Amino acid sequence: MPTLARADLESLLRARQLDRTLTTALAPLDPSDDYVVAPAGVTALDASLGGGFPRGQLSELIGPRSSGRTSLFLQILAAATGRGELVALVDALDTLDPASAAAAGIDLDRLLWVRGHVVTNPGMCRDVNPRAVEQAVKALMLILQAGNFGCVVLDVAEAPAEAIRRLPFTTWLRLQRILEGSRTACLLVGAEPMARSSAGLSVKCERARRQQPGGQGGRSDASGPGQMFKGFDLELHVISARGRRREGVCVSLATEASPDV
Amino acid sequence: MSDGMPPSASDSPRAAGGARLAASCPPPLYACLHAVSPGHAGTLVQLARDFSPRFECHRDDLVSIDIRGLDRLLGDPGAIGAELRRSAAARGLRLQVAVAATRTAAMVLAHARPGLTVVERSGEAAALAPLPVGLLEQVDPACPVIPALKRWGVRTLGELAALPPAGLAARLGQPGLVWQAMARGQDARPLVPTLPEERFESSADLEWPIEGLEPLSFVLTRLLEPLTIRLERRDRGAAAVHLALDLVKCYDADRRPGAAGGGAHPASDPAVDVVRGGTFTRTLELPAPLRDVRTLRTLLLLDLESHPPPAAIERVTVVIDPTPGRVLQHTLFTRAHPTPEQLSTLIARLTALLGQDRIGRPAIVDSYRPGAFVVQPFPVEHGVASASSASSASLISVLRRCRHPVPARVAVAGGRPVAVTTDRRGFAGGRVRGCAGPWRTSGEWWAGEGPEAGWNRDEWDVSLSDGAIYRIFRDRVTDGWFIDAVVD
Repeated sequence: MPTLARADLESLLRARQLDRTLTTALAPLDPSDDYVVAPAGVTALDASLGGGFPRGQLSELIGPRSSGRTSLFLQILAAATGRGELVALVDALDTLDPASAAAAGIDLDRLLWVRGHVVTNPGMCRDVNPRAVEQAVKALMLILQAGNFGCVVLDVAEAPAEAIRRLPFTTWLRLQRILEGSRTACLLVGAEPMARSSAGLSVKCERARRQQPGGQGGRSDASGPGQMFKGFDLELHVISARGRRREGVCVSLATEASPDV
Repeated sequence: MSDGMPPSASDSPRAAGGARLAASCPPPLYACLHAVSPGHAGTLVQLARDFSPRFECHRDDLVSIDIRGLDRLLGDPGAIGAELRRSAAARGLRLQVAVAATRTAAMVLAHARPGLTVVERSGEAAALAPLPVGLLEQVDPACPVIPALKRWGVRTLGELAALPPAGLAARLGQPGLVWQAMARGQDARPLVPTLPEERFESSADLEWPIEGLEPLSFVLTRLLEPLTIRLERRDRGAAAVHLALDLVKCYDADRRPGAAGGGAHPASDPAVDVVRGGTFTRTLELPAPLRDVRTLRTLLLLDLESHPPPAAIERVTVVIDPTPGRVLQHTLFTRAHPTPEQLSTLIARLTALLGQDRIGRPAIVDSYRPGAFVVQPFPVEHGVASASSASSASLISVLRRCRHPVPARVAVAGGRPVAVTTDRRGFAGGRVRGCAGPWRTSGEWWAGEGPEAGWNRDEWDVSLSDGAIYRIFRDRVTDGWFIDAVVD
C-alpha cells in the first residue's frame, strides 16, 4: 500500500514537472542542436561550453566592471539576431550604448530594449532606487511569459549588491520555472552570482592577469597622447554548469576596439 | 440508355439540373463607366450602386456594373446605357459608357469611345480589333509589354489577338497571353463586387453603473466576442479600437483630466483621453490587425489601468476600425517568433509597468554627439532574416553609458590624466595606469545656448588602478571633468 501511494505521488509530481529538484542533473545537451543551446558566436567559447548557453535555463554572466561581460552578452545577442531570432534586453539601470550594440553586430530591429527607471540618482550609480531592479525583474518575467524570444538578458551589472540580495530567492526559482521547456536562453548579467542553484550555467569574466608592458590588464593600456585604445584580454571561467560537467573550464579571449564606439 | 451506350455524365440528374439552371440564368452583360471629369469617385460609386448591387470599382474613375436582368426594368442594353448617362449627367458627371457581354471589352471600349457604345453579343473581338494596342496601357497602367509589341509592329488589338498564342507565350510569358485575352475581349476573372465598409460597433447599457476594471472586463468580453466573430467572417482584423464609456454625471471634480492628481491631460496624451458630456473615450491604435478577444480585452484593460475613468460607467461602446486580415505563410525553416498578439500584449504590459518611453528598439542617430540615440516603437511583425551564423574569434570592446555623466576630479600631469576620483558611490577611481587620447569632438555649437545645445570636449580612455577602464572627458566650456562611459 505505501508503494502504491508513493507511485501515485511520483506520477502526480511527474505530471506537474516537479519530479526533480533544482540540483538534479539534467539530460545532456546536444551541442550541435541550436534549438537546445544558443551559440555565443565566439568559436572558442562555444567549443568550451558545449555549443553555447543552454536554452530553457537561467544562466549567469558575472564579473567586475571592465571585465568584458558587456562585450560578451552583446556578442551573444548579436549571434541570436544573426540567426533570425528576436531578443530582449532588460537594461535595469539604462546603461546600454546603442552604438556599441550596433558595432557588436546586433540587428537593432530585433532587439526589444526595456530601459529601467533610475530615479534616486541619475546615471550609473550605486545609490539606485531599489525599485529599478524590482521593476526590471518584473519586466523580465513578462518577457519570458510571452515566450518565443531567442535570448533574453537581464542586465543588473551596475546595480548595488544590496538591491540584488533584497530580491527573494524564490524570484530566481520562479524565473527558472517559467523558462523550463521553452526555447529561450536567459542570461543574468551581474557583478556577483545571484541565481544560486537556479543557474544553469555560470560564467565568470575577468581581465587577463597577464602583465603587459605599460600596466595591468593587457593591451588596454596603450598610453600616450594620440594613441588609440586597442582593447583588452579577458578570461572566462565556467564556475557552474548544471548537468553539463564543464566546471572549471577557462577560455581566453580578446576584445578589439571598434572605430564606431 | 436505350441504345445500349453507357450513361454519360450529362445524362445524370445533377447535370440536367445544372443545364436547366444555366438556361434559366440570363447571359452576362456588363456596363463600364469611365468618368472623363475627375474628382467624382464617390458619385460614380453611388451611381453604380443605384443601378445594381453587383459592381466593381477598379479605380476612382472606372466602374464595372453587372447589368443582367435590368432589361426587364429599363429595356435593351442601349436603353440601359442611355439611362446610365442620363443619371450621370443629372449628378454632374461626364461619362463614357460601354455595354458588352464581357467586362474586359466594356472596359476597353469605355476608354476608347466617347458617349455610349453598345456591342452585340459575340462581337466583342471585332469591336476591339481596330483599336490601338496602347489602350491596354490606359486600362491597366502596369502593362509592361506595350513597347515590345510596338517594336514588333503590332499596332492594333486585332493584330495582337491574331498572334499565335504559343509564340507569344514563348516571348512574353504568361502576361503575354493575358494581354492577348484582353485584346480579344475575354475576361480573365469574374467581376468581384465591391462591398460597402461595414461598421463594427457594439454597446451595452448597464442597469447598475460599474466601477473598477474587473467587472468591466466581463462587459468588454461580451461586446468584443460578437464583433470579432463578424470580423472573422469578413476576413478583417481590428486596426484601431475606440472605447467610449458613458459615465454617471456626478463625479469628483478633482479627478477630472487636467486636474491635479487626476488622469492624464488631453494635450499631453497622444491617445484621446477626454471627458466630454460625461463620455470618457480611449482609442487604441493596434500595431497589427488583431481579432483575438482576449488580446483586445487585455490591451483595453491595460490602457484603462494607466488612464482610469474618473467615475462609474453606465454605458460601454466599442467601435472597431476594420482592416484586411493578415495572410501568413509559415515555413519549417524559420525561427518561431512571438505572434503580433503576444508582442502587442507584452508591450502594453511593459508600458504599463515602466512607461511608454522606456520600451522600444534602439536606433542610431545620424549625429556625432557621443551616446546619441533614439528609441523607436518595437515592430510586432518581423520578416525572415537572412541567417548568418558566422562565429568570430574575438569580441568588440563596448561601452556602458552614464546617461548623465558623473562629475570627476582628474589630476593632470604633463598634459595627461594621472588620477581620477569621484564622490559618487561605486566609482572609487584611482591612479591612471594607462590612457589613450585626447580626442577632441565638438558639434551643434551653432544650435544656441544651454547645456543641450552643443558639446565641446576632449575625450580620454583611461585604465585605472582599481581595474576599471573609463571614457572620461574634459568639457572645454566649463573646464570640468566627467566620466562618460565604462569600457566593458
